[in-house]
Amino acid sequence: MSVLAQQLVLGLLIGGLYGLAAAGLSLVFGVLKVLNVAHGELIMLGGYGAFWLVALLGLDAFASLALVIPGALLLGVVLYAALFGFVVRADEETRVKNSLLIGFGLALALQALAVRLWTADERSVPTPYGGGVFTVAGLAIPAVRLLSLVLAFALILALELLLTRWRWGQAIRATAEDWEAALLAGIDVRRAYLLAFALGTALAGAAGTLVTVAYSVSPSIGLEWTLKALIVVVLAGLGSVLGTFVGGLVLGVAEAASAAAFGGPYREVVGLVIFVVVLLVRPRGLFGR
Amino acid sequence: MSGRPGRSERAWAIAILLALAALALLPLARPRDDVLNFVFLALLAITLAQSWNVVAGYAGQVNLGHAAFFGLGALVTRALWTTGTPIVPAMLAGALVATAAALVIGAAAFRLRGAYFAIATLAVGEILRTTVSNVLPEISTLPAATIATYRLPQRYYAALALAAVSIAVVAALASSRLGLGMRAIREDEDAAEASGVGALGLKLTALAMSTTLAGLAGGVFAYYHISYYPSHPFEPHWTFDALLMTFIGGVGTLHGPVLGAVLYVLLKEFLAVRWVDLHLLIFGAVFIVIVLLLPGGLVQAAARWRQPRRP
Amino acid sequence: MAGGDVTRPRLELADVEAAYGDLRAVLGVSLSIDAGEIVALLGPNGAGKSTLLRTVAGLLRPRAGTIRWDGEDLTRVDAHRIVERGIALVPEGRRLFGGMTVTENLELGAFAPRGRVARAASLDRVFALFPVLAERRRQRVAALSGGQQQMVAVGRALMANPRLLMLDEPSLGIAPQLVQAILEVLLTINATGVGILLVEQNVQAALGLAHRGYVLETGRIVAQGTGAELLRDPHVRRAYLGPLAVRA
Repeated sequence: MSVLAQQLVLGLLIGGLYGLAAAGLSLVFGVLKVLNVAHGELIMLGGYGAFWLVALLGLDAFASLALVIPGALLLGVVLYAALFGFVVRADEETRVKNSLLIGFGLALALQALAVRLWTADERSVPTPYGGGVFTVAGLAIPAVRLLSLVLAFALILALELLLTRWRWGQAIRATAEDWEAALLAGIDVRRAYLLAFALGTALAGAAGTLVTVAYSVSPSIGLEWTLKALIVVVLAGLGSVLGTFVGGLVLGVAEAASAAAFGGPYREVVGLVIFVVVLLVRPRGLFGR
Repeated sequence: MSGRPGRSERAWAIAILLALAALALLPLARPRDDVLNFVFLALLAITLAQSWNVVAGYAGQVNLGHAAFFGLGALVTRALWTTGTPIVPAMLAGALVATAAALVIGAAAFRLRGAYFAIATLAVGEILRTTVSNVLPEISTLPAATIATYRLPQRYYAALALAAVSIAVVAALASSRLGLGMRAIREDEDAAEASGVGALGLKLTALAMSTTLAGLAGGVFAYYHISYYPSHPFEPHWTFDALLMTFIGGVGTLHGPVLGAVLYVLLKEFLAVRWVDLHLLIFGAVFIVIVLLLPGGLVQAAARWRQPRRP
Repeated sequence: MAGGDVTRPRLELADVEAAYGDLRAVLGVSLSIDAGEIVALLGPNGAGKSTLLRTVAGLLRPRAGTIRWDGEDLTRVDAHRIVERGIALVPEGRRLFGGMTVTENLELGAFAPRGRVARAASLDRVFALFPVLAERRRQRVAALSGGQQQMVAVGRALMANPRLLMLDEPSLGIAPQLVQAILEVLLTINATGVGILLVEQNVQAALGLAHRGYVLETGRIVAQGTGAELLRDPHVRRAYLGPLAVRA
């Protein structure tokens, strides 16, 4: 019993990162109506960004977020200007097609770049408090993973505040709902797209940092994280940041429960099966509007 | 892009089939094995691209789980063949299993549209891949007796015949009422449904045709490789390859996927030889540039170039 | 005329052609609206009325012709910048941000600098025009009735502080007693010097309100005149007011 409880706690801890990874994808998908299949590769880059900052500059692992986030924001601006801005101009069928094409091309290139720069080995980032473990009611809670979950939640709250309080945040939400009406309200929709994409990339970078600090990173983690994020986006539906985070926690716990029930190798399978079932039964997601 | 069926399509079909017939003579010239291997890869790529094109180009459904059907074909063919079934029945059985699985999955997934269908099929493909790698983690190697009698030209002709079949199937589809109905769904599913086109039935038909070809391609893969991990043909990159080749060439046309496949394999192999460890990076970048410069694929770019610009 | 404008903003369309897809084409329309004028645009479904409004608003580029506003050529100006020039559209079907509150919808209407500088005053003005919205300011728009949603749509356009307000079928799908209320609000808005271009199925009401009107059929202007003239016009009576009106 306590083994199961321990598994579920660990699932909850990684679930927060699923939520954060999904929030960025959800923002881009919801606003630009573009499915960025290279989202996982952006997460991977964020992870290596943190790895470099720690290894080369000797920064604290969590403090590296302060540089990774602005860096990823900038990368998002560049990617939008060079690639995705071109995609959103097309009509719907072409947009789905071109976003897949560019996404796969980008994923391929970034993965190869990462192998070149950092080799194909799995890397992790040492932290001075790395081995710390809290014990609460007989359950072991690794300090680094708990801190990652807390930071992920803080970033989700910050995003929620940005989208509800900031003028351009409201503009982004308005654009997601109806871009023509947004234009009629005087919103520069192109800029809303750019901001949404940059924010989505920044969130991916932050998620990658936390993943690397709490777990590890390798050049090939991209697809796995894109899938996790997609699962959560579909579970949670579009349009609710907090719902997305909760969706991430649900996936983490569900995976842990299934790993306990069917054995470790099947944790992914069960998550995917749940996802397909939810998609078929409730295409708008559990929390979607 | 509105694929214009009819004479130009038939001319392309004949031209491509003639080219394939000419390739049938290649083994007689006793080329080096790497030449034969390369053409084999291109032929398999043509089948894979063309099979994906049936669902995406004609019925307008972006199936991101295509590798699963390629993988199922390989899995079943390999299992039957290595336990004594002759290769042709083994391949047919593989295609049958792939198609049956596709119909079950399609019946559910076709309730979803657009990006959601794409995501669902990607997830289903991953479910199968992970399961296969869990159940069959051991590498599959041919028995020594089979290796001793291994002849590359046999594999080559299998791939050639299958590529010709895929061309013939798509050419027949393009000029049939069936293909017309599929195109109607692609243009506007609701309108097609309203005018009496049974969308689900047509989409399932397209998926069945597509996955039968993919399953057979998987069979050729299983016949060709001496050893591989059973989960390897389930890897999503097989889907992405098919998608990229089809879109580079021109989706919804007969010759587009063929051109795309040839270009894709050439480019990839050339870069792999030229820049060993950077080739995927360059390939990805070249690929993105192609998409940006030729958003409708090679076929549309050629059409635009040939037509004088209207004032 | 509020503020005693030195410039007299005037919308002038010359031979404008536009199409939405292949249908609903506008085939060479010329019309003008003076400052502070109420102009009704009438015509059957599919005549091109919505296409024309969308073209003026910048959602569609005209295929030919010019659109001048206050002397400036608008044909190449982006939609969000046209709002900044002082032209606001209340689109067909309202097109509100349903997941957002009444206040959020209204504040988004004042997104462009022109509206933003006067945001607080505009919000007071909208709440004065539509007191029910003040009561429901924290509610999600999707939860409001059709009439209330139309009020939000008009309010959102007013928040941009426009000099010309275009409305596409504001009475569509709302309770009959509210139609009159909304049309009366248009008079109040007009009294502050805002020009109004109104597309409306309720021809009697629209012409009763408007200084002038145009009749658009299959993409062309087929009749124009003052409200009273058009109400007397036999073609208009037959086509848009029905047999009862002819007898009356």
